Amino acid sequence: MDLTFISGMFQKILTGLPLTLNLWLLSLAGGACLALTLNLMRQNRIGNAIAATYVFVFRGTPLLIQIFMIYYGLAGFGFIRQSFLWPFLRDPYWCGLLALILNDAAYSSEILRGGLRAVPKGAVEAGRVSGMGRATILRRITLPIATRQALPAYSNEVISMLKATALVSTITLMDMTGIARAAISETWRAVEILLCAAVIYLVISMLVTRASAWLEQRLSPWQFGRTTP
Amino acid sequence: MITASIGPALSLSGLRKSFGHNEVLRGIDLSARDGDVISMIGASGSGKSTLLRCIPMLEIPDAGTIAVGEDSLSPKGGRLTRTEDAIARRMRGHLGFVFQNFNLWPHRTVLENVIEAPLFVQGRSRAEAVDEALALLEKVGLAEKRDAWPAHLSGGQQQRVAIARALAQHPRAILFDEPTSALDPELVGEVLKVIRRLAEEGRTMLIVTHEMGFAREVSSRVVFLHQGRIEEDGTPAEVFGAPKSERARAFLASHFDRNR
Amino acid sequence: MGDIGLLGFGPDGWGLVLFRAGLMTLAVSVAAFLCGLVLGTLVAWARVGGNRVMRALAEAYTVVLRGVPDILVIYLFYFGGRQVVAAIGTALGFAGPFDISGFVAGMLAIGLISGASQSEVLRGAYQAVPRGTIEAGRVVGMGRFTLFRRVIAPQAMVTALPAMGNQWQSVIKESALVSVTGLVETMRQVSVAAGTTQEHFLFYAAGAVIYLIITTLSDQVFRLAERRSLRGHQGAGY
Repeated sequence: MDLTFISGMFQKILTGLPLTLNLWLLSLAGGACLALTLNLMRQNRIGNAIAATYVFVFRGTPLLIQIFMIYYGLAGFGFIRQSFLWPFLRDPYWCGLLALILNDAAYSSEILRGGLRAVPKGAVEAGRVSGMGRATILRRITLPIATRQALPAYSNEVISMLKATALVSTITLMDMTGIARAAISETWRAVEILLCAAVIYLVISMLVTRASAWLEQRLSPWQFGRTTP
Repeated sequence: MITASIGPALSLSGLRKSFGHNEVLRGIDLSARDGDVISMIGASGSGKSTLLRCIPMLEIPDAGTIAVGEDSLSPKGGRLTRTEDAIARRMRGHLGFVFQNFNLWPHRTVLENVIEAPLFVQGRSRAEAVDEALALLEKVGLAEKRDAWPAHLSGGQQQRVAIARALAQHPRAILFDEPTSALDPELVGEVLKVIRRLAEEGRTMLIVTHEMGFAREVSSRVVFLHQGRIEEDGTPAEVFGAPKSERARAFLASHFDRNR
Repeated sequence: MGDIGLLGFGPDGWGLVLFRAGLMTLAVSVAAFLCGLVLGTLVAWARVGGNRVMRALAEAYTVVLRGVPDILVIYLFYFGGRQVVAAIGTALGFAGPFDISGFVAGMLAIGLISGASQSEVLRGAYQAVPRGTIEAGRVVGMGRFTLFRRVIAPQAMVTALPAMGNQWQSVIKESALVSVTGLVETMRQVSVAAGTTQEHFLFYAAGAVIYLIITTLSDQVFRLAERRSLRGHQGAGY
């Protein structure tokens, strides 16, 4: 084991950490907004069909193909090259971020849907009889219960997205995996380099696991299920 | 406690409701003056719970008119327009509703359950809402449980919190949908005691119940429903003592047999 | 844009090539899933019935594979495997060049990734088997193996099947990552076709459709299996 090489490699790979974190957190934020929108759409038949198709397509195909489709595929359309979107869609960063957001939204929307289904019907009725409107019920009853219910599944999704950001390295972005990949082709000491990168990802994901366990305990001091038979 | 104003607190006329081909309510007329305590009895499937759920538009009737205080609605075709929905929400604000399964919000503490609507629907100040809620919890005998989670309470305690929550609405009338049916027998008494006290205060109440003895004791009026129609309507003495219809007689006979 | 004829099965079409690539995706996925199943079973068994060391090892394995990007694991197997093969080959006195096939590297890597989550599914399913039925097996004198084969496995399978269906779906999607090793499966093949014809959107869309077909069909298969396995279990509380 060559310790100087390894510590140097850690430092080098960590320069990609800001980009990895950036893509990770922004895709989670964007994905969450889109996931909520998809669930709100499900209230009528057409919206439901659109949301279901969206989820079907994005969950049924690999993220890698989604990234390539956006980065290479969209450039083939003349009207996109002419549109105001082109400055974004020619940039691998925005394409990668967009693909991650779209992908995360499909998975998160299903997690949120599961949470929403777990909201006791009676809790919503109790809101209605006390005169709450739709928005108030959503804000004060449905979403708080649903999100807390969905938290364990969502923490898995958060970790999945961290891992998913590594795929943007295939469209030339220099995130941690991109840097590792480049270092491999320079030095050919693949195993050491890859293990360095793996350790960094592992540490972050373990921190997330810890944090979500803590959050779960803080947010759900009650037990679900006993109030409604 | 009685809001003095002209006209009945609550009135229903020509109420009809079907689920698919099953006609559950076949023209119901009923009105309650302020201070009335009306018990609704009848076999399961007679439509009494549906009737109660139609009043705050949890079920939207197919035809008929519902009036609460000054507001009234005559929805057509089983759905509400946007303006009707606004009226329905105002009507709900004047009602309290107590469910069979309590339906407390599991993610809020006892106190939070009671102040939720005052704060987020009626826009009252927190200090005022909390003061009042504590008084109401005191009244139902649960002041010391203010910070407990609903899931940590017994069914009887949950139902008493639900009653406090309904009272926090400052309701003109309170609707009870079989408030003791989901309770273990030994917990029924504590809930009935609270409802009895409300009757003594002169609250206007509509109670769907299977507790015949209780209905006889607290009601000013008893209504017997059969197959979506009102078959008997009178004082407890009239309905329990000398029911006019054969069906009411049979129902009461079987019920008192079973209970005693 | 796009000439749909490029996807045809004629002499100028890529249809046949894509079809073969689809089969390769299926092949590498099946191999990886089975790898994962064997590994997952062993690990689940270690976590449930193993001694302290085995439990710790099994848990570390699931934690690590849960936290490391799949693509790094594939690179690790691909490049690492090459280094190992080269080392062994040189030690045995063979002359290079040495290479490890993308298929083997992909199969092992994805098997390893999938094994971690499959072990969680299997462990959960085992724990959901009512204790009483196991005790009932014991009192009639079943040995450990019989108990597993006749009592535990059939019940656990019913609980595990839906989640195993999801695991299989994940494996199919992860198999696209094997394209980085140069294995000509669907992802690799559509990239090549897109580059050659410059019809990027057309071919990536075709690739997406191939994946959708595979995932949808296998979903149907799993549902069928689920319905079969549920026979006789109606109302049993599963």
